[in-house]
Amino acid sequence: MQLSKQSEIENSAWALSEYESKKLLAEYGIPVTEEVLVQSRDQAVAAAKRIGFPVVLKACSPELMHKSEAGCVELSLTSDDDVAHAYDRILSSVSVELEGVLVAEMVAGARELVLGLTREPQFGPCVMLGLGGVMTEIFKDTVFRVAPFDRVEAEDMVSELKSKAMLNAFRGERPADIKTICQCLISLGKIGLDNPDIFEIDVNPLKIDNDGRVKAVDALVIFGTEAGGKYAKAN
Amino acid sequence: MQKPIEETALYRIVNPEHIAMFGASNRFAAMGTNLLSSILALGFEGKIYPVHPEDDQVMGLDAYKSVLDLPVTPDLAFIVLPTKVVPEILEDCGKKGIKQAIIVSGGFKEVGGDGIALEKQLCEIADKYGMRFVGPNCIGVVNPHHKFNATYFPYQQSAGFIGMASQSGSFITQMFDYLAGFGLGYSTGISVGNEANVDIVDCLEYLGACPNTRVISLYIETIRRGKEFIEMARSIVPHKPIVAYYVGGSEGGRKATFSHTGALSGPDRLYDGIFRQSGVIRANSIEEMFDYCLCLGMCPRPAGNRVVVQTHSGGPGAVAADVCTRQGLVLNPIADQTLEKLKQFVPHTGSVNNPIDITYSKNSMDYFVDIPKVLIEDEASDSVLIYFLMPDHSVRRAMESYGISGDEATVQAGAFIDEQSKAVADLIKGFSKPFIGFSFYTRENRFIKNLQDNGIAVLPSPVRAAKALAAMVRYTDYRKKILAGNR
Repeated sequence: MQLSKQSEIENSAWALSEYESKKLLAEYGIPVTEEVLVQSRDQAVAAAKRIGFPVVLKACSPELMHKSEAGCVELSLTSDDDVAHAYDRILSSVSVELEGVLVAEMVAGARELVLGLTREPQFGPCVMLGLGGVMTEIFKDTVFRVAPFDRVEAEDMVSELKSKAMLNAFRGERPADIKTICQCLISLGKIGLDNPDIFEIDVNPLKIDNDGRVKAVDALVIFGTEAGGKYAKAN
Repeated sequence: MQKPIEETALYRIVNPEHIAMFGASNRFAAMGTNLLSSILALGFEGKIYPVHPEDDQVMGLDAYKSVLDLPVTPDLAFIVLPTKVVPEILEDCGKKGIKQAIIVSGGFKEVGGDGIALEKQLCEIADKYGMRFVGPNCIGVVNPHHKFNATYFPYQQSAGFIGMASQSGSFITQMFDYLAGFGLGYSTGISVGNEANVDIVDCLEYLGACPNTRVISLYIETIRRGKEFIEMARSIVPHKPIVAYYVGGSEGGRKATFSHTGALSGPDRLYDGIFRQSGVIRANSIEEMFDYCLCLGMCPRPAGNRVVVQTHSGGPGAVAADVCTRQGLVLNPIADQTLEKLKQFVPHTGSVNNPIDITYSKNSMDYFVDIPKVLIEDEASDSVLIYFLMPDHSVRRAMESYGISGDEATVQAGAFIDEQSKAVADLIKGFSKPFIGFSFYTRENRFIKNLQDNGIAVLPSPVRAAKALAAMVRYTDYRKKILAGNR
């Protein structure tokens, strides 16, 4: 199905920005990309140097739920100049008010998972694991569990994925860190149980790097409750 | 979580001793009268007290003007009355001290409007008097072990081992004949109706504790108490398998969502996960659900996914092997020591690759007893699938070829078939591996009927048998997972 349109959101407080979303995930032990929120071109360059090239720059705002519109994201920046120019391009092309610009490490690796949380009236918070990347909604290789669940159940989720073979050694990349993937799944469930005002979370993608380590590269936390409230009003 | 069965909400509802019957009359066409006929037809051994505003007798039983006039306090009220009077009657039952009810009447929440308030009223009355009830808008319950059939349809086969709770009454009653076609029956069947008071989770609790129930089957359109369902199922699965057939909401009918996760969480995928988390085996049709129940109820649990297939006909064996492989089962080559033991029974035309294709046997006991014995004893496999074919007319023709004719040939053919099937049954008694037969013959065939009646699982195609075996292996895996979990 189609995601609801950006314009349907009246109040930006319904979602956390990518930066704030990842901070919340990190508090629950989910590994996220190393990143800095900057307010100027100079800060952007300094942050990129500290993180190490290549870096990614992204417009950061709770109003940018899906950064698909042009000019929000600049990938594979390898020099000070690259970063400075990218910073300018983002500021000139994005119309919404920004929290800042996010300078983040660029994670190498071909494999992507999608993780998420959704709230179901009869079951409460449900955690999703799926094949990530651009084909997510084509293959719909996703599995769900109701929170809370244990490590055995998390491992069973991983083994239920049709594309689980890609988590083994893959085209020169090392086997994925399944233990941490399981921990991420359990943690997402815990976030849902601890925070009844969180309605949905996307971790899209959770990238698997060449060494098999996993990191949340993008994340979105959306507020609302199963009982209705702001979420229901929006629809 | 497991309670003694006597303490479960459903215990007295499906094992009543005294029933107050509302809605039965001497008018044969009335629904209530039909239901009372069903109860009487199965030979219910408790006492029934019809309550009727005018008649002194209902179907030969002494009737009472009001439930308050009854000489005893029944343990069950069975209510088949027009919607509007049900709350008042339930209130009277509460006053009388009746703690259980089955409300067949419809016209409540399922129709909307006033029905919603009427159903709420039923719940409030039940809470006030501490009553539990099944329904409303259900088709009743059946417990053949208690000679209690409170459904519209006659229950004519023996009491069985399948305990079923269904959100469609049809899949209880209209399956009586279907199950009889496999020699199966219900241990208990519960049509849950609107689940205003007793729901699927309560049914699981009862069926989990019910000693007559070897396998639980569920027809589900929605789960109302999600977390409780998962917890309850996980507490039962270590000692009893649960199979569910789920037909849910459409993928398109979902709420609006801002996230990819929400967009991907259609009910079908969600329920897939919920069943797997619960350890519940999901079937893809009613037929498949009962195939799984048949095998899970009749066979020991497989230790793993390795299967050996025995056949004397190439095609059926190849199909079984193909489906097994697609379903994730493994057909290993036969070990050398086993080959050595098999050699004497397999003619030069046969093949001892897995599947073992005998092609023909000089002595039919080779095929039905000696070869299966070797295969069951083989430690390289966890289960045996075997093709069964013994047409009545072929046996009779064989008798005639020995010069036996007429009635005598029929008698001797029957005796031969009985002897063969008994030998198979005797063989497998000592083993704790699944041994599943497949055939294109059904219970119309004497051999198949004998096998099923002697406790051997036989399904009417290689595809169905292989899928059912795969479901049994899933049960083994789910059970292991739950036992390994820490909550």
